[in-house]
Amino acid sequence: MAAVSVHQFAQCITCHAWSPDHSMIALCPNNNEVHIYRLSEDDKWEKIHVLQKHDQIVSGVDWSISSNRIVTVSHDRNSYVWNQETTEWVPTLVILRLNRAALCVQWSPKENKFAVGSGAKTVCICYYEQENNWWVSKLIRKRHDSSVTSVAWHPNNILLATTSTDGKCRVFSTFIKGVDTRDSTGSSADSKFGEQIMQIDLSFCWAFGIKWSPSGNTFAYVGHNSMIYFVDDVGPSPSAQSVAFRDLPLRDVLFISERMVIGVGFDCNPMVFTADERGLWSFLRFLDERKIVSSSARYGSQVATE
Amino acid sequence: MANTSRLYLTCIRNTLEAAMCLQNFPCQEVERHNKPEVELKTSPELLLNPVLICRNEAEKCLIDSSINSLRISLKVKQADELENILTKKFLRFLSMRAEAFQVLRRKPVQGYDISFLVTNYHCEEMQKHKLIDFIVQFMEDIDKEISELKLSVNTRGRLVATEFLKQFI
Repeated sequence: MAAVSVHQFAQCITCHAWSPDHSMIALCPNNNEVHIYRLSEDDKWEKIHVLQKHDQIVSGVDWSISSNRIVTVSHDRNSYVWNQETTEWVPTLVILRLNRAALCVQWSPKENKFAVGSGAKTVCICYYEQENNWWVSKLIRKRHDSSVTSVAWHPNNILLATTSTDGKCRVFSTFIKGVDTRDSTGSSADSKFGEQIMQIDLSFCWAFGIKWSPSGNTFAYVGHNSMIYFVDDVGPSPSAQSVAFRDLPLRDVLFISERMVIGVGFDCNPMVFTADERGLWSFLRFLDERKIVSSSARYGSQVATE
Repeated sequence: MANTSRLYLTCIRNTLEAAMCLQNFPCQEVERHNKPEVELKTSPELLLNPVLICRNEAEKCLIDSSINSLRISLKVKQADELENILTKKFLRFLSMRAEAFQVLRRKPVQGYDISFLVTNYHCEEMQKHKLIDFIVQFMEDIDKEISELKLSVNTRGRLVATEFLKQFI
């Protein structure tokens, strides 16, 4: 199976996010801007907006699905939430209180919060304060030993999983009074903000690219030692599996369904992993035909499928 | 002789393909900075284990990798004093023009003759497999160059001596 369509937006793309209806894509072409492209009828991508506010490279961008807002974070320690007003995108500064670069960002499922992983070994959870009309952040400090490379929200809007360059994966509770409602049935019923629910120490090299499955029962992340880890039954007694492969390490993953994961990495060829009926994960195949000459060396960022 | 050289270069090539998985990583120590972690060495968790590939005692290659940069240090075969001087002069000539090479380091790492520093920015602008080809080709060419230089020095020396001593015949 070859790629459905190939389009070169820039020499290097740092991060990207799809619009809610997948007609537009916001990406950072390895500089301090975010370009928004729209797919026109004759299958051509045209640049419709350029979001220019950051001073350094934009390391993370996410587009919320129902509220149509874009959040961007950059190596300059800042973050902006962009709202579309008529034809223009208007930025709102977010006070992150970071003293190092921000590395990744993701909107929560209910889109009332977003999480930012940073090089300051902290995670910022930002929520909107109606009274003051701005975005405020709460920091999860003193838990990570190194930069937080990737964050992922559980579907219940409270649990957050993070990966770090210290090789560990951690799950935290991000319950904020006034923003979240206590779910009496959930296991996170009596957890405070910033409480570490679980720490997984499987990889002896840097961990990247964590994602939850659609149901929130499983999550997957990759290590730089060419392994992908799957943790099932997240809760008091989780079970972990690891799949090792011979190729260059992966950098990010995406859950297509409960039982299928696609990983992308330094091989420039997406890898498909599936779980069988017993829940055992294994490598299925490469998505692209094996090319002898590889294209640019940048790792591929994840692309959502329609 | 050529056989072991092929093995040595293949080993280095395979190691470089694995070690050159670099990505942009902002500095953890200084805000708003982006430094090659392999040179900084302040965060040990960001460094990978260095790999030393030895062909024999005289020839070896040290590959130091980190999350955003890679350092390759080479020790070139030097059989006698003349080759020693030639290698030093030739590689110093190259190192002083390091900007032209982009991936060359101005000073070799202690104990080696020449060093390369490849960062994620190089991998973004240039293709990874071409960078690896360049380094392996460089290693092959260095040996050839030094042998040629040695040959020409000896030839010239012989010519000069013959000419000089003719006056005494």
